[in-house]
Amino acid sequence: MSGGSVVRAGLARLGSLRVGILVTALGAGIGAAHAAPPDFSGVWFVVHPPHALTTVEGTTPPLTPDARVIYEQHLAAAARGDRSFDGMTRCLPPGLPRLMLVNEPFEILQHPKVIYFIFQLNRLPRRAYVDEQLPTDPDPLWLGYSVAHWDGDALVIDSTGFNDLTLLDDAGLPHSESLRLTERYELSGDGKHMHALFTIDDPKSYTRPWTVKAEYVKRPGYEIPEEFCMDKLRNKRRAGNP
Amino acid sequence: MSGCNSSHGIRCRGLGVSVAVGVLAAAAASAFGADQQAPPATQTSTGPQAPATQSPGPAPRGAPGAASRPFRPRTLFNSGDPTLALTPPLLGGRAAPPGSAPPNPDPRDFEGVWWLQGYEYLLGPAPGIPPPLKPKYMKLLEERIRAKNRGTPEADTETQCLSHGMPRLMESPYPIEIVQTPERITILHEVAHEVRRIWLNRPHPKHPRITFLGDSVGHWEGDTLVVDTIALDDRPFIDDEGSSHSTKLHLVERYTKIDGGAKLQLIMTVEDPVTLEHPYSYQRIYMWRPDVRPQEYICEENNRNAPVNGITVAK
Repeated sequence: MSGGSVVRAGLARLGSLRVGILVTALGAGIGAAHAAPPDFSGVWFVVHPPHALTTVEGTTPPLTPDARVIYEQHLAAAARGDRSFDGMTRCLPPGLPRLMLVNEPFEILQHPKVIYFIFQLNRLPRRAYVDEQLPTDPDPLWLGYSVAHWDGDALVIDSTGFNDLTLLDDAGLPHSESLRLTERYELSGDGKHMHALFTIDDPKSYTRPWTVKAEYVKRPGYEIPEEFCMDKLRNKRRAGNP
Repeated sequence: MSGCNSSHGIRCRGLGVSVAVGVLAAAAASAFGADQQAPPATQTSTGPQAPATQSPGPAPRGAPGAASRPFRPRTLFNSGDPTLALTPPLLGGRAAPPGSAPPNPDPRDFEGVWWLQGYEYLLGPAPGIPPPLKPKYMKLLEERIRAKNRGTPEADTETQCLSHGMPRLMESPYPIEIVQTPERITILHEVAHEVRRIWLNRPHPKHPRITFLGDSVGHWEGDTLVVDTIALDDRPFIDDEGSSHSTKLHLVERYTKIDGGAKLQLIMTVEDPVTLEHPYSYQRIYMWRPDVRPQEYICEENNRNAPVNGITVAK
């Protein structure tokens, strides 16, 4: 893809993206013309799987009043031991960014045109198409629709097209179908760690975009075992657990 | 996309044939009219691959597909017994529409999206022929076919949002995406987002864990990828109709690109000393489909077919 077409792609996004993200997209066009991107391939474990997300500033996420009502219902239910609000208890996909933050590893297969994520959790796959544009009217999906670009050595993934049936975290932070997610991944100098920023932009649920950070560690030689959530659930029920 | 449990003919990727029990004839009739220009739905298990004539128009995503040959109701052993009626095959994938990216001619590069041509519900040595099951397991297959035709099919693993198992997974009428890395061939299936990992140039572990998709190792013989799979969980069936296998099931798959990369040929050899009288093989063809992207497929979203006492009851 030429720099010009990346610029056009960036401009085409202006209608739906904030200016800051546009600048990132333009920057990617310049970066992409340079050396080969770093290799993110491998199996990654999140270092501190969060229960409740907090912003990089250390504050609680800026919920809108309507979203706060839903969140507090979830907190109250969880306090009663009722987690039926959480589709993960029925083996439904966790959605994003939660899937990137659960306590199970994932594998990245880095292809020039597609970044593949294969999760141990219920063998879920995720694809981010490189240097493509997001669809303008996507069908809502559990894992949305993702496109990737390189911003220098950083891998940036923009996603949209999420359904509103998932939560942002274990605690029960809600989101709407308006969710736009921007992920930024950078490798440490030795390539053994990966730092991530997740920016959540969902004006129906949050008063402003906010960002969460996470760190991952690479586990060379780890082979992701086969995992079927329904099988685990059945074994758990057989063992007498709810 | 939500779950598509074939037992109930929920429309899945528009493959069309709703195989609701009791309306087999109607379903087959509607499917029959779907695409007269389509290639034969099935390949013969032996002999060279005949060049297929493809539909000139783009394959409409979501168009019904079915066997193009005149419809003859198939029954187990050609018995004519309606209680042993087999589910009619589907067309499955077709050639990519004109203007699609040309096939990659590198015979050892399988990367990309492929789509099975044809879709057989019974995976024996030839279409409509059951696997060479030992009498006990042939009787079980008959019972499962009769239960299906009564409207109370046995709830198989796929219906329960567990794995399709093997070799059945490779018979899925959904696209598959192959990703090739130096040590591994990874197959990402659209159906129930199943993932197969084929480890290259290494032996099976001495004590492999029994899993739904088993332990798969592969190597190249010329331009043919040979995949050996063992340690398969015995809960899934060999095929949709319900042919049993044991954990002693041993599969050898031989994949070769043909027609300049427009097709991927599979010769599958099935061996199971517990349930089969003798090993057997069959051939399948996957079409190069650069125009297709695998879609999201979440079985658990539509998990209405949970079994009661082993029988599927929900509609």
